[in-house]
Amino acid sequence: MIETKELTRIFRTEEIETTALKEVNLKIKSGEFVAIMGPSGCGKSTLLNILGLLDSPTSGEFIFNEKSIGNFNEKNRAKLRKRNVGFVFQSFNLIDQLTVFENVELPLVYLKMSKSERKALVEEALEYMQISNRSKHYPNQLSGGQQQRVAVARAVVSKPKLILADEPTGNLDSAHGVEVMNMLTELNKNGTTIIMVTHSKRDAGFSNRIVHLFDGQIISENIVSQ
Amino acid sequence: MLKNYLISAIRSITKNPFYAFLNILGLTIGLAAFIFIYIYVTDEISYDKHNTKHSQIYRLESDFTIGSKHDRFAIVPIPMGPALKLEFPEIENVVRFRGVDNALFIYNDDEYYEDNFYYVDSTIFDVFTTELVIGETKNGLTEPNTIVLTEKIAAKYFGKENAIGKVVKTGNGRQFKVTAVVKNLPENSHLKFDALMSASTLAKEVGEEEFNSMEPERFWNIGVYTYIMLNPNSSITSIHEKFPDFYDKYMKSVGDSFNASFNLLTTPLADVHLNSTLASDLPTGNKSYVYIFTIVAVFILLLAAINYMNMATAQSSTRSREVGMRKVMGAEKYQLIGQFLSESVILAIIATILAFFTVYLLLPDFNNLTGKSLSWQTISQPVFISTIFMVGILIGLFSGSYPSFYLSSFMPLNVLKGVTASSGKPKLLLRRGLVIIQFFIAIVMIIGTFVVSDQLDYLKNSDLGFDKENLVVMELQDSAFRSKVEVFKEALLQSPHVEVVSNSTGVPGDVSWIQVMLVEQESEMKEFAVILVQSDFEYPSLLGLDFITGRDFDEKMGTDDTAAVIINETAAKQFGWLDNPIGKKIQYGMNLDRTGGRGLKVIGMVEDFHFNSLHNKVEPIIIFISPVPRYYVTARVTDGNMKSGLEHIEKCWAEGGAERPFNYTMITDLQEDMYESEEKISSIFLIISALTVFIALLGLFGLSSFTAEQRTREIGIRKVNGASLYDILILLFKEFFWLILIAFVIAVPVAYWRLSIWLETSFTYYTEIHWFSILLAGALAMIVGLLTISYHVIKVASSDPVEAIKYE
Repeated sequence: MIETKELTRIFRTEEIETTALKEVNLKIKSGEFVAIMGPSGCGKSTLLNILGLLDSPTSGEFIFNEKSIGNFNEKNRAKLRKRNVGFVFQSFNLIDQLTVFENVELPLVYLKMSKSERKALVEEALEYMQISNRSKHYPNQLSGGQQQRVAVARAVVSKPKLILADEPTGNLDSAHGVEVMNMLTELNKNGTTIIMVTHSKRDAGFSNRIVHLFDGQIISENIVSQ
Repeated sequence: MLKNYLISAIRSITKNPFYAFLNILGLTIGLAAFIFIYIYVTDEISYDKHNTKHSQIYRLESDFTIGSKHDRFAIVPIPMGPALKLEFPEIENVVRFRGVDNALFIYNDDEYYEDNFYYVDSTIFDVFTTELVIGETKNGLTEPNTIVLTEKIAAKYFGKENAIGKVVKTGNGRQFKVTAVVKNLPENSHLKFDALMSASTLAKEVGEEEFNSMEPERFWNIGVYTYIMLNPNSSITSIHEKFPDFYDKYMKSVGDSFNASFNLLTTPLADVHLNSTLASDLPTGNKSYVYIFTIVAVFILLLAAINYMNMATAQSSTRSREVGMRKVMGAEKYQLIGQFLSESVILAIIATILAFFTVYLLLPDFNNLTGKSLSWQTISQPVFISTIFMVGILIGLFSGSYPSFYLSSFMPLNVLKGVTASSGKPKLLLRRGLVIIQFFIAIVMIIGTFVVSDQLDYLKNSDLGFDKENLVVMELQDSAFRSKVEVFKEALLQSPHVEVVSNSTGVPGDVSWIQVMLVEQESEMKEFAVILVQSDFEYPSLLGLDFITGRDFDEKMGTDDTAAVIINETAAKQFGWLDNPIGKKIQYGMNLDRTGGRGLKVIGMVEDFHFNSLHNKVEPIIIFISPVPRYYVTARVTDGNMKSGLEHIEKCWAEGGAERPFNYTMITDLQEDMYESEEKISSIFLIISALTVFIALLGLFGLSSFTAEQRTREIGIRKVNGASLYDILILLFKEFFWLILIAFVIAVPVAYWRLSIWLETSFTYYTEIHWFSILLAGALAMIVGLLTISYHVIKVASSDPVEAIKYE
């Protein structure tokens, strides 16, 4: 599903040049659950952003769904992104002014679905995440765990093939954290590819494979035996 | 502490020079406009208040009722003033003014034509306040043939020589000896005399007895501007209460004989300028403009203050960290408020200084525009300057109040953790409300500008019922030249470029002769006060009047020169003749016992034509042949030949033996002059609305930057979830679109209501308020508004979503 060849990302400001990713070669097959681990500043999030089509590499090749998209512009990336990728963030990134329902509905609105279709899908996703009873609430009326469930609902509502999770349990207590991890595992079992950045060994334990990143390079990969 | 405030205020201003610039610009424009309007309004309401006894002085005015016709005049019959003083002990003094019209005055060999010279009673100096320069005013005008000059006239006639004792002559042989020179009248005097001549001069000529006669007939001729000064403890109401008895004693006998009555009106001296709407008045101001401009001044200041609020809060997220740090370091809320207020006050003071500078630079243009002659001296009075600075500081405090309470209420922990002070619905509503208010004002002003300009167009381009083009009007002031008018007409017609020439008592734009005449009614002849023009045979054809029925004057008909009269449709309506006006009788110039005068018979009825401005309704008018030469000669030049036509006319003027230099007016110019005040208002409106729109746009610019900043994260999330640039642009524009649309929806009825009142009260004939103008105003506001925000909207919409969502 995803393949990177010699993927490099360099950030330039006026004075400094920082290499965030250096010649990363990574292959992820459809249906895998991959955890990316490493210390702060090792390039995890940069890699995730590129894999999630939010950012593009400085050099190297990036193949997504058998298409080389290294030089896609933002407009084309956005098109590809909204059909194929769902995101879950550490900080949930819900829009405060929208209700739970409206937050979850957002990706469908931008997919130009009809209202009735959207309603069905949103309700299904909320049901799945067991948060239907909160659909009219605003994010700040929910607990952190509930907010993250909403965020996951939003990520899965359009049924993307790939879900990217950036420290999904970072802002949650352990009970809520496990709950979210169980949901991701469940999604993965149903065929969704998941790439997750995490600090937590426990969370990484839910994945099939762990990729260790250090200073922008992959230093090791382990298969997780379940 | 204060020093600390000032230092951090100045640093914060210099740290964000762009916002500081926008704020100062907005406040400067607002304050400069305020100063201009303030001096305009102050000047308008200060008229005649330099007279120390102005509160005791009243102008007398006439309200005549003749038949069904009411007429109110700013002048009263000649003996009215003295007779009132005779009857009412409340009146301490009376002074009458009788003006001259373009009269010739001669000193040595220099000739001057003067308008603002008045014959006055010697009591003038006891009533009105003047400042003596040289000579003596106390008895300056008691003797016949004496004159008191203002400084500018003294300088014009005598240069640097001492004017006292010098003698000036008039074109008709009178002589006047200068007894005093007084300072020029302040510009804000409604009656601006240049020189005063003793009324006793006239008394000497016609005889004291005749001059001072209080015979009833003398009360039924319109005459002179008259002012009374009451005793300090008397009230004007007692004069009005006792006036009916006065009427019975002095006026009733004659009034009853022709079905007329009279009521006395009075206006306090200081109110004359803004309140008079009477006929025969001197140029006056317009109260509704004073109201409108006062409101506009407040609006503009409000706009500028709102701008500050919007832009100051727009910077809140950059300021919040500072606030948090200061609070952690022990700053209390009031100290932070003090700090933010000192910032806004400093900006306001800078803006006030710049506003004064702007006013100084633009004062000549302002005078030009408003027709005033205000000087920098009035503005640079310490009292005035300190008043304006007070206003500036108040605006600073007002503008700073909301941002300082808002910014200082940030919770330090949240701020330092990076949680943006989530604005919450109420504050967002307030800010949006402010933008709606700004656009409401701007849209009202734009609609106003369009409607005023539509009305001006309407006034200038309406069909007046006569052909106003190519008509050259000349005034025959010399009686010798006037007596040879037939020769002059003949000479004018020698040119192929001169089509028609007519001699008459009035021309469209200057028809004011009203007289009581007997008009045929069912059973008898009845009195009507009717406007009339006496002319030659060519007058109707000169104007191109359209006959509804009957015929034009015809020299071949033996009796037209003495007995024919042409009337307009309104006259026929009023006399009840509409079905068949031809042959109906009018008796003109009869004696009080209804005998004598000229018997006229209607030979034609013409369609109504606007012989006065469109401020007034068309009134009944009658036209008949004058037995003697009259004041106006009007020539119609063939189309496209104005230059050669005028050359010919000027040649005939000189060869015809006119004493005065050739001078002419185009009827179209007379028409333009009637709408001078609307023209002025139209330009003022245009400028003010441009300013309000500009200030509102500055505010919108500020708010859009605020919104962009506030919504960066939200927009990032939306983009991550699949929103395209286009989706985001629509989302952001939509918000402002609604604000402007709401402002528009509120503005339309308010503008419609206020402008309808203006049109209805100021004009008899007016344009309708076009929907197109209203929609255009809305569209204009929308377009410039959306263009203004597009900078920030596009910037934030195209920003990198990764950056936006990185921090919460």
